Amino acid sequence: MKRAIQLKTYLSILHIGSDRTWWMPMAVTMLSSVALSACSNVERSRDLGNPNVPASVTAVQVCSACHGKDGNSISPNFPRLAGQQSAYLAAQLENFRSHQRADPEGFEYMWGISRKLTDDQIKGLAEYFSKQIPQSNAPVDAQQLAAGKAIFEKGVPAKETPPCIACHGQKAEGLATFPRLANQHQDYLIKQLSVFRDTEGRPGTPMKQVTHLLDQQEMKAVAGYLQAFPQN
Amino acid sequence: MQSLKRTNRCGSASTAGLIFFFLVFLVQLLPLNAQAIPLFARQTGQNCVACHAGGQFPELTSYGRMFKLTGYTMGSRVEIPLAFMATASGSSVSSKTPGTGDTNADFPQNGLMHFTTASIFAGGKITDNIGLFGQWTYNAYKQQDPDGSWAGHSGSDQFDLRYADRFIDQNQDLIVGASLNNNPGVTDVWNTFNSAFQSVPSYVPASNPGGNGGPFVNVPATPILLQMGPTSTGLNAYVYWNNMIYAEFGAYQTSNRMFSFLSQGIPDSDMPKLKGNLNPYWRLALNHDWGANSAMVGLFGMNAEIYANSPVTSGPTTRYRDVGVDAQYQYILDPHTISAQFSYIRENQNYSDELWDATNPNYTGNFANSSNTLDFLRLKATYVYQAKYGASLGYAAVKGSADTLAYTSSPDSNGSPVPFGNTGSTPNTRIWIPEVFWTPIQNIRVGLQYYKFTQFSGSTTNYDGNGRNASDNNTVFFYVWGAY
Repeated sequence: MKRAIQLKTYLSILHIGSDRTWWMPMAVTMLSSVALSACSNVERSRDLGNPNVPASVTAVQVCSACHGKDGNSISPNFPRLAGQQSAYLAAQLENFRSHQRADPEGFEYMWGISRKLTDDQIKGLAEYFSKQIPQSNAPVDAQQLAAGKAIFEKGVPAKETPPCIACHGQKAEGLATFPRLANQHQDYLIKQLSVFRDTEGRPGTPMKQVTHLLDQQEMKAVAGYLQAFPQN
Repeated sequence: MQSLKRTNRCGSASTAGLIFFFLVFLVQLLPLNAQAIPLFARQTGQNCVACHAGGQFPELTSYGRMFKLTGYTMGSRVEIPLAFMATASGSSVSSKTPGTGDTNADFPQNGLMHFTTASIFAGGKITDNIGLFGQWTYNAYKQQDPDGSWAGHSGSDQFDLRYADRFIDQNQDLIVGASLNNNPGVTDVWNTFNSAFQSVPSYVPASNPGGNGGPFVNVPATPILLQMGPTSTGLNAYVYWNNMIYAEFGAYQTSNRMFSFLSQGIPDSDMPKLKGNLNPYWRLALNHDWGANSAMVGLFGMNAEIYANSPVTSGPTTRYRDVGVDAQYQYILDPHTISAQFSYIRENQNYSDELWDATNPNYTGNFANSSNTLDFLRLKATYVYQAKYGASLGYAAVKGSADTLAYTSSPDSNGSPVPFGNTGSTPNTRIWIPEVFWTPIQNIRVGLQYYKFTQFSGSTTNYDGNGRNASDNNTVFFYVWGAY
């Protein structure tokens, strides 16, 4: 009975009951009740500043928007992360967080995303994406494939460019902080090769030395081969 | 609730202009880092290009759409949840004659560059499920007093309070959400038909000639869906499934009582008064992303019943039924951004008997027909290089049934012909809008638009019966936009 009186007072304050506009405040009240009861919702949170949000939640709620929920991104603006080396992923996230990696896309997108991640969250995200299954990517033309394969396996001897397989593995699967390259987007790879060659945006890797004599044509070929990456 | 309306005299805009240039100066002092940008960017720590295609606010990327649909909750709460925006602009119309001879009345501030609007944004992430896009705008040229001086005015602008949840696993991705907002279409994430989120400053039609930073010449009529402005209160619910199918439904009423804050500062006389509280808005869309491409085709519409004598909320009404089809294509791969938008709205207007039936004892003589139709087509294609240099071409066409009372030529109070008269009794108008713009840093945009009228009020030449041609309305529009 007391509750009924309180409700009536409350409704009269909101001018409810005097006309047909009752439903809107009611709906908002209900909405806010639902909302307040779910102030912290770590199982489905998109909060990048809460250390209690599990990495597996952040991966699907936030990272998926660009990288795909299984790490197989659709847009070549964003690298594929599925099956990537866990150590490499963790190192990149740390480099974004510390602003050591400063290529334009890294700074435009990833500095913000990584700025409040904890070490555990970074480790968890790296684990999550390393365990996803890489899918095949778009094919490239035969000429590019052949030229790219030659660079991948033999390098460019005339320019003393070493073959990719030397560090990235026979199947371009990567090892520890050497990233997996197989099935990566061609456009992303070309962009990163250019970052290594032309800028200081990604310091501390041998890639500056590796790429410094490569021309655009060669980058395009090897990146195309890696994107298509025929298994046999 | 007591109105907090504030009206400031602004006979000379020089003070406001100084403030604007001070703001611009401040922005230029800022270091070019990811934190030095508005509210949502501070929340995610990201650059404008993450959410806005080619960095051109307000067109959204796939990621930007996700950010909005998940209720502005990505990222981490910021300590001061505020951001600011200001525009300065100037217009010059091709010919001012014939007219009243009073430049201030027909073409206010023609050829002058002025500070026009300033906005403050508040909101962002509130909880894990709730976020807000709230905007309050000061318009330096909101209204002109009888003595010719201008009155600045501030009031509620776009408002979108959201609750959203996302159920995502390896098998499915379902976003469900609700929005309390103040303008039908403000909730949409594709930048095709909604006037508030099409372009800043406003792309045709200017909702307020000479104000809002838009050009002076307004098209004679646009569908009600684009005219509502931030005057109504809507409660919408939506679902987005597997990044593919989007469905939304909303119910709108005029902002009043506990929701009057949603239209705070907007004069009652400027508010179209909706009858009832369940004026429905709906939207369906099919989205597909592949490679660097993203495409959408959709349907949308609104039924609105509005009092003919607004703000009086009784008497005869006009029932509007808008149905639209739209599409958007985007290709985003650094350094290129290409986007194209299309929207087409068919509107049916049905009038109460008093408004058109001469035999009705309460006949008002508003319309000659018992119903009219209005078709509104818009097309736009944009290219942006390096998120810095951009060019676009827009086209808008209005076509409606002829009504000798709805579309008339009427002399002004002095008996002089007005430049926007109409002898053809139709609203038929066609405009081409080429634009070039430059974004030297992500907080500043400078743009030049040209509005080329190939038809106005049904004619190419002498549309007003006083010798004024459609091309006399051609307008050059220059703007400087800044945000912090």
